[in-house]
Amino acid sequence: MNVKRVLGVVLVCALTCFFSSPAMAARGVTDDTIKLGLILVKTGPVAALGLPDGHGMVDYMKYLNEQGGVHGRKIDVIWEDDEFQPPKSVAALQKLIHRDKVLTVITTGGSQQTIANMKTINDYKLSNVPNALMKEFFDPYHPYIFAMGALYETQFECIVDYIFNDLKEKNPRIGVVYTKKEYGKIGLNAIRERAKAYGVDLVNELVLPTGAVDASSQVLTLKQNNVEYVITCDVLPPIISFVKTTEKYNYKPKAIFGFNWATDDMIVKACGKAAENYIGANFVGGWSDDSPGVKLAKKIAKKYGRDEKSIGLTSLYLHGIGASLLFGEAFKRAGRDLNPDSLKAAFETFRDFDSGGIFPPLSYTDKSHAPPEMIKLFKADVPNKRLKAITGWRKPMKMK
Amino acid sequence: MAIRSKTFRESYYEDIKLFQTIWIKFWMMLFIIALVAVPFVTDPYLVYIIDISCIATIAALGLNILTGFTGQISLGHAAFLAIGAYTTAIFASTLNMKFWVCLPASGVAAACAGLLVGIPCLRLKGLYLAMATMSFGVVVEYVTVTWEDLTLGVRGISVPTLDVFGYALDSNEKLYYFLVAVTALAVIAATNLVRTRVGRAFIAIRDRDIAAEVMGVNLTRYKVLAFAIGSFYAGVAGGLYAYVMHYIHPDHFTFLLSVQYLAMIIIGGLGSVLGSVFGAVFVTVVPEFIKALAQTMTLVFPALEDKYDDAWNIAAFGLLIMLFLIFEPKGLSGIWLRIKTCFKNWPYTY
Amino acid sequence: MDGGLLFFFQLLVSGVAVGCLYALVALGFVLILKATDILNFAQGEVIMISAFICYFLVTTLHLPFLVAVLITCAAAGLMGILTERLVLRPMLGEPVFAVVMVTIGLSIFLRSMTGILFGHNNLVFPSPFPKETVKMGGIILSQTQIWIMISTLALIIAFFLFFKYSRMGLAMRGTADDQNVAQLMGISVKRVFAMIWAVSFVSAAVAGIFLANVMVINLGLSFVAVSAFPAIILGGLESIPGAIIGGLAIGIIENLAGGYLDQIIGGGVKDVTPFVVLFLILMVRPYGLFGKKEIERV
Repeated sequence: MNVKRVLGVVLVCALTCFFSSPAMAARGVTDDTIKLGLILVKTGPVAALGLPDGHGMVDYMKYLNEQGGVHGRKIDVIWEDDEFQPPKSVAALQKLIHRDKVLTVITTGGSQQTIANMKTINDYKLSNVPNALMKEFFDPYHPYIFAMGALYETQFECIVDYIFNDLKEKNPRIGVVYTKKEYGKIGLNAIRERAKAYGVDLVNELVLPTGAVDASSQVLTLKQNNVEYVITCDVLPPIISFVKTTEKYNYKPKAIFGFNWATDDMIVKACGKAAENYIGANFVGGWSDDSPGVKLAKKIAKKYGRDEKSIGLTSLYLHGIGASLLFGEAFKRAGRDLNPDSLKAAFETFRDFDSGGIFPPLSYTDKSHAPPEMIKLFKADVPNKRLKAITGWRKPMKMK
Repeated sequence: MAIRSKTFRESYYEDIKLFQTIWIKFWMMLFIIALVAVPFVTDPYLVYIIDISCIATIAALGLNILTGFTGQISLGHAAFLAIGAYTTAIFASTLNMKFWVCLPASGVAAACAGLLVGIPCLRLKGLYLAMATMSFGVVVEYVTVTWEDLTLGVRGISVPTLDVFGYALDSNEKLYYFLVAVTALAVIAATNLVRTRVGRAFIAIRDRDIAAEVMGVNLTRYKVLAFAIGSFYAGVAGGLYAYVMHYIHPDHFTFLLSVQYLAMIIIGGLGSVLGSVFGAVFVTVVPEFIKALAQTMTLVFPALEDKYDDAWNIAAFGLLIMLFLIFEPKGLSGIWLRIKTCFKNWPYTY
Repeated sequence: MDGGLLFFFQLLVSGVAVGCLYALVALGFVLILKATDILNFAQGEVIMISAFICYFLVTTLHLPFLVAVLITCAAAGLMGILTERLVLRPMLGEPVFAVVMVTIGLSIFLRSMTGILFGHNNLVFPSPFPKETVKMGGIILSQTQIWIMISTLALIIAFFLFFKYSRMGLAMRGTADDQNVAQLMGISVKRVFAMIWAVSFVSAAVAGIFLANVMVINLGLSFVAVSAFPAIILGGLESIPGAIIGGLAIGIIENLAGGYLDQIIGGGVKDVTPFVVLFLILMVRPYGLFGKKEIERV
């Protein structure tokens, strides 16, 4: 019958047409340009995270071009928006490879996007720096993924260490406020384990969703249980609401801790005095650091007409500059003969690469693309509306 | 042979025939040839977009059967996709099953969930039903996040490459033929369903459920059946989604996705199989098209480049949806029908 | 009072404060639903835009808070009339589905336009209320929360009086009841619809301004509308007191679940509980708590 015939045609045609071959020529590199892709969220509710990061990446490349480019080549960055949806990120990567024919991408977005794109990344040898800090990106070894920032686990271990060693607490009451995202869960587990290693159990483990209207019940529960140290694993907007809510209920923990996505001057600007006990961990330097790297970042920002207000989250702008810096250096080391393989090889020559304080000294080898497991802690400096570094780069303590 | 005039039908069977005239057969053939040729003339990016639209089509068909044909509004369609996707992901990765187990299992799992929601929701109508299904969606999201032993929670599950009888479908083009074949099956099945007794019962329920009951349509049975069939489609679509994305995460199946599917069937046309296809393709392809258009514009007028913002693309998409529906509230299938009649009656168009 | 009881009452009162916000959001939905049978998906965007407008009036133009609120409400009302005139009027008489879809399109459009006009940064509203907390028998409340409760109460009373005594309110009730009869009685249904959209948007604007005070202002603010969905249904779609009680109930349920269940079960039951409660209530009462059961005639 008709239906059968239609199906037959589809099947026969499908079977005869089963072949394809991705083109593997020297993609994206000509005599005078390098085409570089970038997938980061530009629109929607999380754009506040993607925009400063991407601007940092693009601005540094612009700056590099004005310095004469790399080996006579200018770098052309094509920034695609994924609206923070993995299917869109996959589509954007396909477009960048097949339509724009880029050499590689700086990043494909967050952890979900990177995992969803993993196969393409390996097939097309796209060396990239994921915008997420998960262990599985470098352990086991992935040839084209170069992790830049300290793991969430590392950050929270350092925070717990700080409570026990620097603040000399013997038996602190620690509560965790987290969100049900990968960083929240990883963070919660890391804190729980670390506290247990010191012989302390967590008092509370509360969820604060990213779009929460109100943090009253969380704050009240922590207050009810006399929690002295609150460790948060959530992004900025809910943490700002949370800190403001603690003020509403006269709840004053000895310190509120946050990790890299919530360690930004913004929190002090937004919460004012309520944030005075806020301590954040980050794997990039602070905007008020006095290091050559941060000074360079400030110079670049000024050059392209951005002030603190128009940048938004300065810590992420710095992160973007850092990621681009890494790529710029890799292009330099790869020399004139630039292709996906030589780029990967160039990344793997980094030994204690010094970024001037934007991120800690960083090494990649052909066996490991692990990030430097180091962070800095920053404390709120309310009068100056900023976070101020209170430690240098530090690793988690060795536990016995 | 006489000049072709208005179709003249002699029996009821002719009226519900799949291919009414020889011309429809001809155009179908041409369309199939075009579909087969697609990967040869375009690049993998476009093929990927079509892959995604195929999945959307299947899910939209399911929702259209439930909402468009039976009149049971659902705002929890994403939940059924999630159940399907997780079934495939778990079967394929943990239990190492083949696709011909995973995909039907996804459908069945989602259909069971559909029964689970359908039965308690029998008394609900309209927006109340929409909200009850939405609640179900929220609960499913909570379960996928929380039940870590099964779903790996917010880590998400990586799914192995789809393997069709020993042939790995590891590129967009290879997946394309598989997806198009499954979508064709789904479309044919849906077309057939709506011309049977069951389909007529669905439509009767949509138009006036009490009248349908009086006429002997078993409301309970058919309402629950509509839920089961709609969810089955969603489950299969979810399974395919897992294979195509190679990775699923609870965040992929939120309330916004349910709204998106509702958008697809309304834009395409409620109660129309063709409409589901149009709507799904519209919602997945048009944003990419607008993006490409905007980028071409910035090449033609470099002055625009500084002013250009990706948010304009999305705004344009929203505006387009509004204009479309103000212009043609019956959706794309309404426009299609109009164009078709226009050609059919040519030169006597009116 | 002992600690446990105090904790309970504290949660309850905080729940009422949040519930007031939900009630305002739900009120906006229900007003339109009752009169026109349309679930306006763009309601969340109105909340967000109002928050942004108020923010810019206060920070950039340095207007006093009250003036800013009035201007924002006026702007929201105008937006409501414009929306009705430009988007909904052409759809008059079309299937409800198509109209709902238009509001979905509108929400997509408005959200991206807000991003373009106001930027994507996280903004924090300079709170006009003093920071000192108020203590009442051991229960702590911030002044923001107290003002939220007072304003909601005032607004509800105003609405009540408006619907009960004003000519326009009467016309609105008549139109909601039966459009044809209303038209026969010489009521301009078109004008009534425009007014209803305006009133509903003003209610959303007030919710938006207060939400801006408790949350961070960004595009995510529009999703608050989704959290208010249970409130609309809980009270019954077409009942204004129902929407208010529904809103309060959801606020309280959320807070109690957050305070007690979250410590026992864990994993963020706070957000799921309203939906579970909603589902259960619908099983028992298919028309919500206060919704009227429609008498169906064949």
